Amino acid sequence: MRPELKEYNLDWLFASTFSVAKNLLKSSPGEMEYVYNYIPYVSPLLKPLIETGKPALSFLELFGEYYTNIVNAKENGKKVVMTTFCFDPCIFYAVDNLLPVTLEIGTALTSLAWKRGSADFMDYCTEIGFSETGCSSQRGAMGAYLAGLGAQIDLVALNMGGVCDTNANAYNFAAQYLNVPYYGLDYPSELTTDEVREYHHKDYRNLVHFIESHTNCKFDIDKLREVLEEKRKQDDLMNEIEDMQRLIPNPVPGIFHIMIYAARYTYSGKKKFTEMLKEMVEIVRKNSENGVSGLRNGVEKNRTFLVYIDNYSYGLSLYEWFEKKGISHMGNILSRTFTEAAPYTTGIPGTAYRIDTTNFDTMIDTLADINARMPMTRTIRGSYDAPNMWLDDTLSLAKIYSADSCIYLGTPGCRNTWSNIKLLARDLEAYGYPTFIAYGDSFDSRVETWDMSEMRFEEFYNIRGLL
Amino acid sequence: MSIVAGFDVGSLSTKAVIIKNNKLIGTAIIKSSPKPIVSANMVMKKLLDDTGIAQSDIKMATGTGYGREKIDFIDNAISEISCHSKGARWFVPSARTIIDIGGQDCKVIKLDKDGNIKKFITNDKCASGTGRFLDVMAKVMNIDVSELGTISQKSTKPIAFASICTVWAQADVIKHINSRRPVEDICAGINVAMANRVSMLTNAIKVENDICMTGGVAKNKGVVKALSSLLGERIKKLKKADPQLTGAIGAALFAQEKL
Amino acid sequence: MEKIFFDAATNIEIPSVQQWKEKGKKVVGYTCSFMPVELFYAADILPIRLRGINAYSMEISDSYYGPFVCSFPKAVIQLAGSGTYHFLDGVVISNGCDTLRRMNDCWRKMGEDIKGTLPSWMYYVDVPHKPDGHAFDWYVNQIKKLIAAIEKQFNVHISEKNLKKAIKVQNKVRKSLWELEKLRRETPLKLTGTEAYSAIIASTMMPVDEYQAHLNAFLKTIHKRKQDVADGKKKLFLGGSICDDFELVSLIEASEAVVVGENICFGIRDENDMVSETDDPIAALTAKYLSASVCPRMMGWYKERSHMIINKVKNIHADGVIMQNIRFCDLHGTENGLLERDFEKYNIPSLRIEREYGPLTETGRLKMRFDAFIEQLKSADINEQKI
Repeated sequence: MRPELKEYNLDWLFASTFSVAKNLLKSSPGEMEYVYNYIPYVSPLLKPLIETGKPALSFLELFGEYYTNIVNAKENGKKVVMTTFCFDPCIFYAVDNLLPVTLEIGTALTSLAWKRGSADFMDYCTEIGFSETGCSSQRGAMGAYLAGLGAQIDLVALNMGGVCDTNANAYNFAAQYLNVPYYGLDYPSELTTDEVREYHHKDYRNLVHFIESHTNCKFDIDKLREVLEEKRKQDDLMNEIEDMQRLIPNPVPGIFHIMIYAARYTYSGKKKFTEMLKEMVEIVRKNSENGVSGLRNGVEKNRTFLVYIDNYSYGLSLYEWFEKKGISHMGNILSRTFTEAAPYTTGIPGTAYRIDTTNFDTMIDTLADINARMPMTRTIRGSYDAPNMWLDDTLSLAKIYSADSCIYLGTPGCRNTWSNIKLLARDLEAYGYPTFIAYGDSFDSRVETWDMSEMRFEEFYNIRGLL
Repeated sequence: MSIVAGFDVGSLSTKAVIIKNNKLIGTAIIKSSPKPIVSANMVMKKLLDDTGIAQSDIKMATGTGYGREKIDFIDNAISEISCHSKGARWFVPSARTIIDIGGQDCKVIKLDKDGNIKKFITNDKCASGTGRFLDVMAKVMNIDVSELGTISQKSTKPIAFASICTVWAQADVIKHINSRRPVEDICAGINVAMANRVSMLTNAIKVENDICMTGGVAKNKGVVKALSSLLGERIKKLKKADPQLTGAIGAALFAQEKL
Repeated sequence: MEKIFFDAATNIEIPSVQQWKEKGKKVVGYTCSFMPVELFYAADILPIRLRGINAYSMEISDSYYGPFVCSFPKAVIQLAGSGTYHFLDGVVISNGCDTLRRMNDCWRKMGEDIKGTLPSWMYYVDVPHKPDGHAFDWYVNQIKKLIAAIEKQFNVHISEKNLKKAIKVQNKVRKSLWELEKLRRETPLKLTGTEAYSAIIASTMMPVDEYQAHLNAFLKTIHKRKQDVADGKKKLFLGGSICDDFELVSLIEASEAVVVGENICFGIRDENDMVSETDDPIAALTAKYLSASVCPRMMGWYKERSHMIINKVKNIHADGVIMQNIRFCDLHGTENGLLERDFEKYNIPSLRIEREYGPLTETGRLKMRFDAFIEQLKSADINEQKI
């Protein structure tokens, strides 16, 4: 690892960057342009973010607060739990002395904000024994924490066993390497049977017991209720945005997707996230009322649904390219909530979750149901062509959102999707959706630089006459 | 003391040396043929022609490299890892870490103070991080691979490449050539990409001084400089002979010991 | 080497399987060591482990699987697509890992394209990633469902009596395999790793009665031998990804070494690796197959596994350990990294290698590494003597 990377902890860098960056919104446009000259590396991320207005401030405040809390965790008597993006963190916020750190968000932020991304941290993981072919989404931030360049990790808790081996494996490695307690929620391939529902509930209760025993804290029922009710508000707001996204042109700015899911995976159940969503809903409503596209130049030429994740190349390259080309980003697997009231789950029993805050038991069952329906844990747990699995979900979403085309973006470490993306793409094409499989790495541009990725996207869109 | 020989049959080049009493009295490097025995015979002929020594004068011969077991005129075969370790200590008696970047793989070897192998780690992935990577890139640049190091010295802004896959890196290089980026920056970027891949192995094994590089890529100043910078340590230059001969020298030293 | 075992280790449709089919009996392929083979024997069905040996190319499986995946399930699909598994009456796939479980998806899709390659029965079993509590109950239920599915598909009844009998028979094989393992720990060492390996793999390929008879004969033969095959050689322990391509063991043994033990998903773990003959048979099967796993897919159980492996290496008096993983096998690839660290703590020399599966393994590259490792071990011996 380059010596300069050892000067500052990664989470401290995020804490200070976002906490300071939010002050930019107090500046005039001229002042901001002036400041951008002095932050040439972070400005490609900040500029499009700040253009969103109020949501940007909330976003920067949210992440500034999130990482500051993590940095100060030990000092404030709190423990830090390492977790994954597909694990709803709101349960951790119901325990007084626990704070979650979600690795994939850290890796994505590093990719977006630094030219070199988190390459050094990824390589560090390999140097200490982790498989180089493992998914890059964990490896970036994970390398920092394992190198001692982040807050001390006290426990590891997540879900992924059965849905994404490479993900669960990474966290398992981290737990063994750091010699801290580990709990993984297990996911069979079924989603809607009573048997699997019971399995999830039992597994989740074990997780609750694990958290209590390692934090010496009992769950505060009122706090849990408060967190879940806040999550309910968040779900409603996200559903409203998802609903309006059906309009043509799509009134949702593309960048909102990444802002929403980044915040959701880190601050679910916290008021700051609700605040940001409210501000976003206001903007999207206004666009809807005026029949205006969420794209900067207002001209929607294509609606693309991303069947898996986005690309997190430096400076929001993918999003900027979409803006340049007039491609409306119709969200991806990470954008979906699968709550009962979502536009794509209404009327399909058993596949969605319902928030029930009646008592502790119903709340724990709710959390178990939520986790079983997070992106990945829902969609890619069973055969791709089984009901409510990847093909079903993709076709439903592509139809609901009037998608013109589909793109697969992922990482070479994703054994799960790479083992069936060709099947999915084939079927999507058969259903009339031109589908592009990108071979790059969403978090590591050493696999394929953004310039090359862009060339290939251009080729796809041109040849298929999509623009 | 008797004359002994060492042969290193690699994928890209075949090397041979004759030593007497630890001193090099003959060396030869040729481009490898697809058949190891043909390569070995050719390099032997060159060696004997250049030195005027008869094959019968050679009392013991050891082979190494991927084709080692196919050479019928050697007395024994020893792995490259052992031979490079031995050979590196001939160059630098205090060597504790050896980085050998050959034609088709990359190895980092750690020795104890007596020169015994403590641990070794190899590149198990693909061409990326091996001499082949540089060969492919040099071909795309339409230059000789030996020029990559020299040209890169003028660079002030190495270009970042997709370095994990040689094929995709190649596409990147082509793109930059077409964009008329300075050739020295492209060369420097190639060298840095190479060094980055190798540094993962060196960091995994935790290098100890003195560090030296063997194999053909050790002649590329750009890679050596970039790797040294990444390691934060000086890489000792092999001066007594061509570093590409390290494996053959080690093999010959083993032959000498056996005698 | 026993020819019968060698043939079973190097072929798929061996004469035993053909003879079984000629009698009008059924054959079902299964993917993983989590599968209780006793269920099939209780239904008089021959269970054979799905393997990918002899897959010399991947053009069929590349149409279904993407590029960045383990070559083992790809090799199985390649063989299936080439017609090698034409004799199967059914396939049971379990979620050993993500790539393996997607074999279900890929095989079915391939079956649409290449007629005759899809067995008449495809079944999927959800194996938990934990061995206890609700996970244990889940797997008990999965086994019950599998029994019901077998009965329905093949019009048979799997009685408790037959199940218990099948357990007894398999336990007898396990005891014999343990006898084999004990012989591998003796001095003089009378059998090579290649021989032992082929015998272990053969156990998953032929009818159990036939196998037991051959194994008994083989054990008798070994007992009569005098020569020490380990003379002048280093004793090695092999661990890691699925490794039924016994040519890898041959390659290791060509480097002046002998493989005296393994931690892979074939064979038995230790002398206690049995199914209880007194407990409820389904619970007993679950206890053995789920709880005694050596696989890193059981995340969170690394410490137990590593202690087991390190003790095994010590008991076998291995001079060193080779840990291999198939490229893109992150589970073993990563666990090997942790094991390497832990072996170092116990001064156990180890070599980590990554490879492709089966005939696609790059033997030249690997041989160099094995040779270098043996040379390293030998020079350490010389050093010790000097001291």
